[in-house]
Amino acid sequence: MTRRSFGRSVRNALAFAVLTIAAVRAPAAEPPAPAALSAEYQLKAAYLFKLPQFVEWPAGAFADAQAPFVIGILGEDPFGVYLDDFVRDEKMDTHPIVVRRFRRGEEARGCHVLYIGRSEGAALEKIFAQLRRQPTLTVGDLDEFARLGGMIHLVVEDGRIHFSINADAAKAAGLDISSKLLRLATIVPPPKR
Amino acid sequence: MLLQNTPIRRKLMTMLLGTSAVVLLLTCAAFLGYELLTFRRESLTQLSTLGQIIATNSTAAVAFDNRTDAAEVLAALQAEPHIVGACLYDKNGNPFAHYPAAAPETAFPRAPGPDGFRFGAGRLAGFTPVVQRRGSERLGTLYLESDMGAMRDRLRLYGLIALLVVAGSFLVAYVLSRVLQEQISRPVLALAEAAKAVSGRRDFAVRARKLGDDELGRLTDTFNDMLRQIEQQNAELERRVRERTAELAAANDELEAFCFSAAHDLRTPLRTITGFADIVLRHHGSTLDPEVRRYLGLIHDGSDQMSKLINDLLDFSRLGRQPLARTNCDLARIAGEVFRELEGERRDRTVDFQLGPLPSAYGDPALLRVVLINLLSNALKYTRPRVEARIEVGATATAAAPVYFVRDNGVGFDMRDAGKLFGVFQRLHHPHEFEGTGVGLATVRRIVERHGGRIWAEAVQGAGATFYFTLPAEGDRVPAEPAE
Repeated sequence: MTRRSFGRSVRNALAFAVLTIAAVRAPAAEPPAPAALSAEYQLKAAYLFKLPQFVEWPAGAFADAQAPFVIGILGEDPFGVYLDDFVRDEKMDTHPIVVRRFRRGEEARGCHVLYIGRSEGAALEKIFAQLRRQPTLTVGDLDEFARLGGMIHLVVEDGRIHFSINADAAKAAGLDISSKLLRLATIVPPPKR
Repeated sequence: MLLQNTPIRRKLMTMLLGTSAVVLLLTCAAFLGYELLTFRRESLTQLSTLGQIIATNSTAAVAFDNRTDAAEVLAALQAEPHIVGACLYDKNGNPFAHYPAAAPETAFPRAPGPDGFRFGAGRLAGFTPVVQRRGSERLGTLYLESDMGAMRDRLRLYGLIALLVVAGSFLVAYVLSRVLQEQISRPVLALAEAAKAVSGRRDFAVRARKLGDDELGRLTDTFNDMLRQIEQQNAELERRVRERTAELAAANDELEAFCFSAAHDLRTPLRTITGFADIVLRHHGSTLDPEVRRYLGLIHDGSDQMSKLINDLLDFSRLGRQPLARTNCDLARIAGEVFRELEGERRDRTVDFQLGPLPSAYGDPALLRVVLINLLSNALKYTRPRVEARIEVGATATAAAPVYFVRDNGVGFDMRDAGKLFGVFQRLHHPHEFEGTGVGLATVRRIVERHGGRIWAEAVQGAGATFYFTLPAEGDRVPAEPAE
């Protein structure tokens, strides 16, 4: 088997695997998410939990070691109870993880991770301005999310979820994204020479 | 003992080299053993460190299911040629990416085993968890396999170095021991050489060379000291023997001079007795009473006998004084002549004389003639009672020198008296049976012994006697002539 054909078959298998993993990850014993959460959002929910593992927050982001690690959802919530179930009893280092939902950008100050829903497409720039200099990792799947100032843009491509990362925005917020994560991502805007 | 019969040099060399070899081999073995252990431990540490690094680097790839990136991370293992295989498993234990990328999936464990690395079948392999530090969740597992080629390479290198070290050390040990063993073997060999010279040549003037002041040096000193003592004692003994010999010779000379002059002086009064007894008998015999005439006859015969005795004694005495005039003599010719001259002895008798071929003898012909005169006249005398006398002169060749003999079938003698046979005035038979002075065989012995030969006799009482004598060949050592 040549390297190329191997790679292709891996990719083909991958799309299936992604779905399978997401399905397995779905807690069977719990009530199904309303309106049957799609595989894509199940995976994105998992990413909301996994991405922060590769990000360092500045020392002042937590009041103490027991202070909660807050994952916020701003605007339309595509995950519902699925996300709450997913992070229940999980910890980020020593911090217990909690999920909070917000209607307005200014309420979201103090979140560690903020998922910005599709309903906020028009308000993105305002939200980013409100969160300026806040150690909040902004994640979203709206078009041009990263280019407009969001930190991690989740892009579905060939049935897989890719990231675009706006490293400058993260840096400005005092967040340190692991090079391991950066290696997997498309950097936006492209690094200037 | 193992090396009992090998030379001391080789013994020492063997000991030195053997010891060095054992020490070197043990050292190398310990060294190699230690290396092996250390290297195993190091390999284990290195592989788990490498595993840790790869696992840490692949967390994002595993977490976000990025096979391309995982394969890239694993491909970095190319830098470590002894890593023959690596495989990443996702959190459910399914193979996810492997190295080398071209290898079939069957080359790797189907599912992850317990964490940790283990040695087995010429390789070192094991599993490491893939965990991102911030999350508590295990993201997957990394499998790594090393072919232990590094250990083999290293051991081969160490083996080669050890071999070179052993060979080099052995060479140095050989050279050193060659030099050092001389310290012991040289004095010992010098001592052995000296001892051999002493015992072989009886040369007590030899001295062993001393090569140091150790135990061997002291042994050499003691050995030399013993030699000096022997030499001194020998000199002392020789001096004493010379003294005694001189004393004896002087006493003997004195005695002989006395005998000679006594015998010589006795002849004058004896001649008076014989002469006047003769004159009385010849001129006045007719007027004398027959009884007186008979007595005078006895006086004449007795003094005549005494005169003969004195002459014999003078002859015997002279034998010790005359120097030997040696030459090669034909004993057979002399024996023949003597036998003819003894014609008077065998008048009216039947004598079967056998003269065998005799090897030429080296001696004084005049004295050897005296020997044969005495032996043959004795043979004739003691065969007188035989109707048919048989006398044989011959020689038997032995390894050393010919043994001449004169054999007769006469009256013989008792072998118990053989010792007395050759003494002066020693007679085994009564003068009435066989006349004689008892000086003849003493004279014979004296002549033979002066020549350096030996004389002896064998006999059976009433059945004859054989007299044997030997004479050394020309060039043989002859006892020194007694000093005059």
